[in-house]
Amino acid sequence: MSTLEWLRPLQHILNSPIQLLTINVSEWKAKIGVAESVPPGHTANVVIEAGGWASHQDKLWMIADYDGSEKVTILELDGGQLSQKERELISWTLQLANASKGKLPAPESQLSESEKHAHKIGEWLQKQLEADEPNFSLPDHLTVGSRLYHEMIPFLLITEHANTRQDVYPELEKLLRSFLSDEILLIPLKSQEWLIWGPLSLLKDEDADLLGDQNEEETMEDSLTSIAFGLHEMLASEWLGECHLAVTHPISPAKGMVEAAILLRETISLGRKFHVGTNIHLPWMLQLERLLNAIPESNRSKYLEHSLKRADLFVESEMLATLETFFALDCNVSETAKKLYIHRNTLLYRLDKLKQETGLDVRQFRDAVLVKIILLLYKVTKRN
Amino acid sequence: MAGVRLEGIYKRYPGSDKASVTDVNLDIKDKEFLVLVGPSGCGKSTTLRMIAGLEEISEGKLFIGDRLVNDVAPKDRDIAMVFQSYALYPHMNVYQNMAFGLKLRKFKKADIDKRVREAAKILDIEHLLDRKPKALSGGQRQRVALGRAIVREPQVFLMDEPLSNLDAKLRGQMRAEISKLTKRLETTTIYVTHDQIEAMTMGDRIVVMKDGFIQQTASPEELYNHPVNIFVAGFIGAPSMNFVTGTLTEQGGAVRFKAPGVDVSVPEGKAATLRSKGYIGKEVILGIRPEDIHEEPVFLEASPGTIVNANVEVAENLGHEMYLYLNGIGTDTVIARVDGRSGVRDGASVKLALDMNKTHLFDKETELNIFEN
Repeated sequence: MSTLEWLRPLQHILNSPIQLLTINVSEWKAKIGVAESVPPGHTANVVIEAGGWASHQDKLWMIADYDGSEKVTILELDGGQLSQKERELISWTLQLANASKGKLPAPESQLSESEKHAHKIGEWLQKQLEADEPNFSLPDHLTVGSRLYHEMIPFLLITEHANTRQDVYPELEKLLRSFLSDEILLIPLKSQEWLIWGPLSLLKDEDADLLGDQNEEETMEDSLTSIAFGLHEMLASEWLGECHLAVTHPISPAKGMVEAAILLRETISLGRKFHVGTNIHLPWMLQLERLLNAIPESNRSKYLEHSLKRADLFVESEMLATLETFFALDCNVSETAKKLYIHRNTLLYRLDKLKQETGLDVRQFRDAVLVKIILLLYKVTKRN
Repeated sequence: MAGVRLEGIYKRYPGSDKASVTDVNLDIKDKEFLVLVGPSGCGKSTTLRMIAGLEEISEGKLFIGDRLVNDVAPKDRDIAMVFQSYALYPHMNVYQNMAFGLKLRKFKKADIDKRVREAAKILDIEHLLDRKPKALSGGQRQRVALGRAIVREPQVFLMDEPLSNLDAKLRGQMRAEISKLTKRLETTTIYVTHDQIEAMTMGDRIVVMKDGFIQQTASPEELYNHPVNIFVAGFIGAPSMNFVTGTLTEQGGAVRFKAPGVDVSVPEGKAATLRSKGYIGKEVILGIRPEDIHEEPVFLEASPGTIVNANVEVAENLGHEMYLYLNGIGTDTVIARVDGRSGVRDGASVKLALDMNKTHLFDKETELNIFEN
């Protein structure tokens, strides 16, 4: 039974999200060291095996899989709500699942050359992302010829469901090669996070002559957005299901690997925070969100309280949907009414109601900016 | 092809006390076209996404054919999806867009070619096979998205508001084409929309949802003529059903419905049910569709016991028919749909007759249809 098969039912039973993490053995030992609670007789020197656990404050970590290498796969879950018996039951289930698997993940010697190389880059990149002063250029021994000095398109993929199958890297790499090009580079980061580099040729348009003027209007951002939407659609329907994807402007992997990964991680994080339900995140569409995110939480809440004369109007889903559509369509009343399938007068009535109750008229630029900011802040603060 | 069965399906999001979808039970037959309809946030898209495998099922069982698929990945469910936010693959031409899924599943080149060309013929996009998506119009892109689903020859089609990005004219056209297409392909289809006209015109059966609960599952005719509660009655039909709150009384052996400006007799068949269920003397809500309010003299002569007087606030003439916005029937505005040649003007006083055989009465507290429950 694969981890994917039991992880979902376990999340259902516990009604709580479970993170599947891959950490170093040393990190696991450190967790045992700080743990307030471990199984009887456990110490940092104990044999590492599936089902072993440690808890600290409300967090519970449990070993899901260990193949004797330097890496250990663990579950991180909310341990506060679990009884001792429930912990033991999960631990025992993991031991059984692991024993029945009877097969360890492929050792490094069985990996293809490209996968080995990608893992090495991934480990280096992960270290830079965690370092206080990262090295922004890929070291020479990892660049392999001149390929990584050419500009490529970086995408960051984060899957919602864990896939711990041994062949996940070759499977995803093959899928991306069929979809994008043979020239892709796939770098594994965390267990559900991948940095994908696509070739610049994806942006070339062989049909440019056919399109004429229409084509001239398409910007680099438009092209990258279309590719990201297509890639997301393909991954959602042909691979693991729902996932988050970010893309940014082309850059040379050798020079811009760390920079791109930082930007794309931040983009997905901002997108998930400010636009729940959106799966494709574009850095050039999140400028305001980036700025607002930099404001301390207390200041944001204070501003929000001040700005709203009647906060509950913004909570109404109908008003939220109306305003979001209105802003997405550049404050165009006719287009918004059409998109919402309502009469133009109904829309004007809603906007008048907002003006009456908050003093803000979104048809005026100044007020529209304020309402946009309030909506963004509201979305973040209401979840806190 | 296969049916789809949902048994006690729930969707709960972490951190939320209330389920987004509650105890959904549906048995969708093989080859059936089922429409999920309801206002935004009613749980229809979440239900579809659970069937697609894009959302986890919190509780309950989902079967496609006889196979339990709760933990089966979307790609292995043998379904094909067309969503509102469908995206074509921009770097591939139309042919490659449609062939990609088959290529991944290692179909032979000849089979792929046959399926793509057949689907293109059905959708009338054979001449576009070499084009890239950005050289296509909105309607053509929509056809390619459908083509990508068709070539898979899946057990089930899942469609989530696939027409909402199209303009009204194209939407009407594509609506008819999808209906025709699914009948021709004989594939089970589950279609989500918020548009009751789409629901009524396309579905073999319609599921009306609200706040995560199924309100009623029935054929379009059944839903329109026998709504089980006020929500369904008001949601299905345009303009919507009128509602008038009043009291039922018994006078001289006949049951009458009384409200401000209304004192009409209830047909004996309905009166018997009202008596047996103990509604005499109680407040109820009368529901009447706009087309069941008549101004033709013949109808007025034949229905002396159901006549009401009203003032015409606004008369909207659509040519073949006219909507009268009326004051004086109950406390709210009532809409009547009358013949376009009736000649009624704004501000006129009119005499109208209610077709009481076609009215519905709802319990004021439970909002359930007294005659359907």
